Amino acid sequence: MAHPRKQAVRWLSHAQRGRGPESPQGDWLQPALPAAVLVPPALPALLRAADELWLALYFPSLWLTAALRARPANGPVAVLAVHNRVQRVIAADAAARELGIAPGLSLGSALALCSGLDARERDLRRERGLLEQLAAEALHFTPRVSLERPDALLLEVKGSLGLFGGARALCEAVQHSCARQAVSVQWALAPTPLAALAGARADRALLITNKAQLVGELASLPLTALRWPSEQLERLASMGVRTIGQVLRLPREGFARRFGKAPRLLLDQLTGQRADPRPSFVTRERFAARCEPSYELTDHAEILQYCEPLLASQEHFLRARQAGITSLLLRFAHRLPGGLASERLITPLRVSLVDAELAARRFILLLREHLARLTLPGPVLRIELRSGRLLPFAPCTNSLWQPGEYGGAAGSESPALIERLRARLGPDAVYSLCLVPEHRPEAAWCVAEPRPPDRSVNNNPVTNSGEAYLRRPLWLLREPELLALQHDALIAAGLSLLNGPERIESGWWDGHDIARDYYLARNTQGSELWVFRERLPPHRWYLHGVFG
Amino acid sequence: MAFDNPLARLLEHPAIWRGRSSAPQATITSGFLTLDAALPGGGWPQLGLVEILTPQFGIGELRLLVPALAQLTQRSASRWITWVAPPFEPYAPALAARGLALERQLVVRTQTVLWAMEQALGCGACDVTLAWTRRAPARSLRRLQLAAERGRTLGVLFRALCNAREASPAMLRLAVEPLREGVRVTLLKSRGGARGSFDILWASH
Repeated sequence: MAHPRKQAVRWLSHAQRGRGPESPQGDWLQPALPAAVLVPPALPALLRAADELWLALYFPSLWLTAALRARPANGPVAVLAVHNRVQRVIAADAAARELGIAPGLSLGSALALCSGLDARERDLRRERGLLEQLAAEALHFTPRVSLERPDALLLEVKGSLGLFGGARALCEAVQHSCARQAVSVQWALAPTPLAALAGARADRALLITNKAQLVGELASLPLTALRWPSEQLERLASMGVRTIGQVLRLPREGFARRFGKAPRLLLDQLTGQRADPRPSFVTRERFAARCEPSYELTDHAEILQYCEPLLASQEHFLRARQAGITSLLLRFAHRLPGGLASERLITPLRVSLVDAELAARRFILLLREHLARLTLPGPVLRIELRSGRLLPFAPCTNSLWQPGEYGGAAGSESPALIERLRARLGPDAVYSLCLVPEHRPEAAWCVAEPRPPDRSVNNNPVTNSGEAYLRRPLWLLREPELLALQHDALIAAGLSLLNGPERIESGWWDGHDIARDYYLARNTQGSELWVFRERLPPHRWYLHGVFG
Repeated sequence: MAFDNPLARLLEHPAIWRGRSSAPQATITSGFLTLDAALPGGGWPQLGLVEILTPQFGIGELRLLVPALAQLTQRSASRWITWVAPPFEPYAPALAARGLALERQLVVRTQTVLWAMEQALGCGACDVTLAWTRRAPARSLRRLQLAAERGRTLGVLFRALCNAREASPAMLRLAVEPLREGVRVTLLKSRGGARGSFDILWASH
């Protein structure tokens, strides 16, 4: 007889092995245990509790809410969508429903019932925005929120139960949160996402925390809650199958043969026999603000003055999120010359940075440089600001010493210098250098994007000191300069060859092949030069570098 | 022993101030013994403005600086080495072979050399700022000197030898002329050091 604790551990490891999504037989209800393992009596109940709990939030009036947010209601409201080339009502508010306007009605019939109907097109963009807004709000309850487009959310709340005082208290808190946003909600809690969704859509406030109860609780739900294609539901209905319990009782093989594997898989996911991973919702935030000055701005200093509060509120926004941005878009709106007052001409101004930054002070400095280069076609009527992608911001630690004092390193000054120079001189005017493993001298280096020193790592500069490179000049000419046609002319010009030749023949593969003999030469002024002679006729001489 | 000399004894008097004994400043060895001996503090200063005047660019003036630049980039907390409007392309393989860390080099192509140099000197993000220009009025040199002190940066301005007679607020002015196997360096102005002329031969280094 083994030690009881050891047995428990063995049992646990078995259970876990059989549970994961990688095992197709991951059935909780019948863990495939070898008979020899003794099961401690208290453990099974604990283990049978689901490892995930999904709270589904279904917003039945999302279309209506989204449409109403566009502008206030003007009489009874109905939302329309085009279905089979006919505009049909898909949602109606209480006043419209009282008049008999129900989803499915065509626009003509609805107008016949109520001539003062405020009929609106479905606003897909606003609906999506509203759902994302609700998802962002739901992030207060759990970090794992998943969008179930078009009108539901899934929250994985297993880890949050303790914090909010149990499943029921959590569900109430979520309901309150939705009520604050003036959105009606139906909810259900279940161990699998699909089961929770079905419960929420059937408007049964299910509260299933145990996987053993799942199938029993789902059995009475109507099949329509699964939102399967209507022809499949009709076929099932003609067979007399109208609830989830009935469809689960159908034989697996026959069901898969008649309806395909996809519905079978969905049923497995519904009952938790198959894993159902869901992508998590990540907030995609940007800062956007605008200001419309009371008079038209003509002066750059005035424009900057109006940008300052926008940048200050952006800093506030970014600081609250511990985020920085590396790009910023400003749009200046002008009146179109000779156009209507509503027609606008837009001048965009993009400011980009080397390093993530949030301080308004630095943006203002940069903006001043950019504005100095910008010519605006007319007075500015409106300024819009839109931040780039939010990046994690690590504020640099200030060193005890000033930069340069006792070897103190530079902090935020490094990227700031590059940005200021680029703002005035253009992005290509400032660059760093790097090596390219190449024999051709002009291809052995290239321009690199300057990187501020990594603050976290004590940078150890890598220097590959090839001995061969000691014979290379410190200066290279962008293009080799023609010196002379013949060796005699070279001597006559006062050049004396000191060292060489070094033959470089390479690059046949990309069409820029070279065949040259390089020499070290000195001119009459005493400069040491790097010259070469073409190996192929007409054997011209070129200047390629200066030893400096 | 020094006190045997009455003049030396007199000079020890605390009330006597001599122009040459300026406050010691941070320097970095140039890598050339003759040059170190002639420069005040025994090497290139670590901040301030230095002017190097040459009859033409590329006669070896950069070679005088390269060992010091290599030392500066190999420190753990190194800052940028900025090249403002160099006359040719700084050749990366040669710089790397002489020990310069390439990722710390910043090349700036501009027509407004003095503006860019002042930005680089004054912001404190650079160890050294090298700039090549033909025209530099004395007033803007003064601004550069002040910016270099503010940013604790060494500014090196390469100019033509014909400017040698102009007054300059730079702390150090050198004229560099080519020799057969080296250069002749003439200290035109050296704050707190001696003036004079000496030869540096490449072969001995």
